[in-house]
Amino acid sequence: MSTRDLVLTALFTAIIIVLGIIPPITLAFVPVPITAQSMGVMLAGCIIGAKRGALAYLLLILMVAVGLPVLSGGRGGLAVLAGPTGGYIAGWVVGTFVTGLVAERIVRETQGGARQIAGFFLASIIGGIGVVYLMGTIWLAINTGMGFVAALSANAVFLPGDILKAGIAALAARAVLVGYPLLPQRS
Amino acid sequence: MEIRFADCSIRYGETVALHPLDLALTERRIGVIGLNGSGKTTFARAINGLVKPSQGHVTVNGLDTVADGPAVLGTVGFIFQNPQNQLILPIVADDIALGLKSRGVGKAEVAARVEGILMRFGIEHLARRRVHALSGGETQLVAMASVLVTEPDILILDEPTNQLDLKNRKRVIDTLASLDEAAIVVSHDLSLIESFERVLLFHEGRLIADGIPGDVVKAYEAVALC
Amino acid sequence: MLKSLHVEGATLLHRLSVRTKLAVLFVASLAVFLTVDPFVLGGAVLLSALVFATVGVSFSEGLSRLAWPLVSIGLVAGATAFFETPVHGLVVLFRFATLILLAATVTASTEVGDFMEEITRLMMPFERLGLVNAADIGLALGLVLRFVPEISTRYESLREAHAARGLPVRPLKMLAPLIILTLKDADMIAMAIDARGLRRH
Repeated sequence: MSTRDLVLTALFTAIIIVLGIIPPITLAFVPVPITAQSMGVMLAGCIIGAKRGALAYLLLILMVAVGLPVLSGGRGGLAVLAGPTGGYIAGWVVGTFVTGLVAERIVRETQGGARQIAGFFLASIIGGIGVVYLMGTIWLAINTGMGFVAALSANAVFLPGDILKAGIAALAARAVLVGYPLLPQRS
Repeated sequence: MEIRFADCSIRYGETVALHPLDLALTERRIGVIGLNGSGKTTFARAINGLVKPSQGHVTVNGLDTVADGPAVLGTVGFIFQNPQNQLILPIVADDIALGLKSRGVGKAEVAARVEGILMRFGIEHLARRRVHALSGGETQLVAMASVLVTEPDILILDEPTNQLDLKNRKRVIDTLASLDEAAIVVSHDLSLIESFERVLLFHEGRLIADGIPGDVVKAYEAVALC
Repeated sequence: MLKSLHVEGATLLHRLSVRTKLAVLFVASLAVFLTVDPFVLGGAVLLSALVFATVGVSFSEGLSRLAWPLVSIGLVAGATAFFETPVHGLVVLFRFATLILLAATVTASTEVGDFMEEITRLMMPFERLGLVNAADIGLALGLVLRFVPEISTRYESLREAHAARGLPVRPLKMLAPLIILTLKDADMIAMAIDARGLRRH
């Protein structure tokens, strides 16, 4: 790993933590307030790519585990990981990796703006919503004996807000791609 | 100390940042001046191997910056223009210790050497402070301490008085004057280099004047204000 | 900023090694799944609450630390009770409450530095396989702690700059500039790390 990759990874972890300090935004048509931090998976995958993005989340979880209040609302410590929602936290790592993998394959610097935004949006939906929900739900279902379908339906409340977040993350990722491109591109 | 540029040129893609240069430096205080984009920072970075020559060689005390990269890094310390980016751990003393730890120095010796360098700079009171909370002048002094603690023979400073207020500027200049190490200072601050033994003037990637401060500053004024 | 969740103290739990505490937590996380008896699990909750009470976290502080995990297990237990049986819901509630209390106990009684040392030790086998570099993990962690306040200050100045220009302050509008400005420093920081020779392998 190059020193630059190490630094980009650590800086992104720091950005995710700062996003947790920014006050949440309430929107009229979404029931729950939107925290900037919850877009971190999508942003990390789309902006610094699969490998560095997933490492940034591993570093974040390491910090949670050692008892630093790095999650929004000052949450942290092993208690957060030990809860029934621990699967979502593991899902952040894999979700970031998949978001990055999709973005790296379908977004090109030479494409028009609309295509890039659409690509980032798709990547965020697949990795940031699909993978995170899947892993969170499997963990939840195993640990509660609730059944997969019932557990999956519990996610429905969050879906509208998360789709909106994918849109915001896609716009931000495209702006960063224009201003300071970092996403590795592979065919 | 001896720094030698042998037919060294540096290109970034199509742009020539430094035209072929032959030069030997042995003085203890050397200033480097020139307009923005004149090649002076590239020249300074070539000395410790942060920038590799596209052609020719750079040697420091006989060590080649390409072939003996790590040894050159140990010989030449570098203070960057924005020293806050150079301090990478949250607490001052931890950051200063890091350079020693990564060189495998033992715990007790690390503690002693960190304390020693803080005393030498008169900044013992900053040891447990957060890097983020330091003032500009303090940041500059801590950055110098973090580099000098590993005992390089030569120190390169890129714009050390940039953005400092008068009081902190004086503090940095006094500290610089008291250094035993050889120092190469890149600066727009002409009064900073007026007592130096030798000054180099770069213009559009070429060394166009080389001598005592008074003469070179006159040459600088001629190219800068024409 | 980023004050650790560790609580100063010299209780038995503070003196236990990190490894012992983590091992107990791990065993407990398996043990609670061995029984479905709500009385046994209820006893486990009481016991872990007592243990948590000994580490010196004040009642209000303890409540605020545990609020979010407790709400989430409350929801999950409620859903389980609804989809399965109420007893089932109670079992889920007690299992996770036990784990969360024990986990919070480990966090409160362990210093970040000791934790990092233990993690570095746990990484050793992986380091020998060439999968990770323990020194890099420490360096990365240091970088995060170093730059969080820096980025936070930068967010504030972006906010002020927007306000000064009479623009509406929309946090989301500042996302991209904040990320760009931060990541642009990466090259300089990386160059400084190499120049200082901080990554010798």
